[in-house]
Amino acid sequence: MTSPDTAVSSAASERTKPHVPGELGIWCFVAGDLAVFTVFFVLIALGNGDQAQVFAQSRASLELWIGVLNTLLLLSGSWLVATAVERCRESVQSGSGPDARRAALQFALAILTGVLFVANKSLEWGIKIAHGITPATNDFFMYFFVFTGIHLFHVLIGLGVLIALRRVSRRERLDSKALRTIESGATFWHLVDLLWIVLFALFYLI
Amino acid sequence: MNGSDTHSGKDHLFYRSMRFCGWSGVAAVTFFIIGGMILGGMLPPLLSPDDTAAEFARRVSEHVVAIRIGSVFLIFSFALFGALAAGIAAQTRRFEKAPAFSYLQLMFGACGTAVAVLVAFSWALMSFRPDEYDPTVVQVLIDFAYFLALFSVPVFSGWCLVIALPILFANEGEEPFPRWVAFFNLWAAVLYAPGLMILFFKSGIFSWSGIVALWIPFTAFFLWILVMSWGILKGAESAGG
Repeated sequence: MTSPDTAVSSAASERTKPHVPGELGIWCFVAGDLAVFTVFFVLIALGNGDQAQVFAQSRASLELWIGVLNTLLLLSGSWLVATAVERCRESVQSGSGPDARRAALQFALAILTGVLFVANKSLEWGIKIAHGITPATNDFFMYFFVFTGIHLFHVLIGLGVLIALRRVSRRERLDSKALRTIESGATFWHLVDLLWIVLFALFYLI
Repeated sequence: MNGSDTHSGKDHLFYRSMRFCGWSGVAAVTFFIIGGMILGGMLPPLLSPDDTAAEFARRVSEHVVAIRIGSVFLIFSFALFGALAAGIAAQTRRFEKAPAFSYLQLMFGACGTAVAVLVAFSWALMSFRPDEYDPTVVQVLIDFAYFLALFSVPVFSGWCLVIALPILFANEGEEPFPRWVAFFNLWAAVLYAPGLMILFFKSGIFSWSGIVALWIPFTAFFLWILVMSWGILKGAESAGG
């Protein structure tokens, strides 16, 4: 692809330039999605200000352990993804594939944490609905179901992304283009994690 | 240029056609601002889904002239989506060996244009004789317009998706649009999704007059038009002016 000369000069310029994981586009997406979720966070905070009592009472009825478990699941998932990316990076640098096999396993475990998150969330919603609590109950639960629902939608997309990353990491040889895909996908998964942490704080803790 | 052989080198006719398509997008946004925002009362919404039918009829009668003039701008704005769709597909087509995604884009684009044009029809019709129609008919027409615009999520998200995929699948240097445009399209595709919620809420932020279900998808959509218009104009330049 590149002549030795350009490879040397691009390596030199890479050393001087800080490495940005993935590519510009995924950060464009992250910034855009964060901007929209910031609107959501402000709306939740405004609701909390307007109807402090309703929000406090409703919040007290949420199962904190489910929220904590979900936070732990996503954090472990993010850790697994981060180490998997590190392995892929090493494998690209060394030019051999054995590290990437372990990366595939870590992606698989990360997918498992995501699936458990979905199961746990369904359980939580199921319990609430069985107790007759729905989005129509009050504004708190309307926000709760819809915003965690939009987040769940992100988790499902993220699971699709992780499945794709696992497939890419199992290739015979990883090149820089494959690494870019892996880093971009991983960045999305970290975004999903970050958004949950803020939602968790706003709905369960404040 | 790595595109199809017929379009390598300079092609003035293609260049001009693409400039027409690109500027059509800009015109569509301008006409929407005049017709939908300044005159027509579509955004910010003149009414809320929990208003009574009588209130719908009264407000529409009050603003009837502005809504009628606004509707004329709206139908031009929405019809121009067709030119935008053609420009995007033409640019995608240049980098395909055999057409696949460009066909998909045309399908989604044509469907989206048809849906959007109906929004303008519905808007015009409610101002045709708001005093003679039964008030609930006026209400239905406004509901219908917002449902066409917001509940049509798979049409517009699908369109964005089939624009993003060929960019992401392309080899380095053979992308029809810059790679960030693909991610912008994915972002837009996600942002239209809250529009589905208008079926379940008649008041508040998730209803057709709310921030999450109305403002976010609409803002994303018109920003998207501007980004794609820019992309088409860039594509025109690369084809040779």
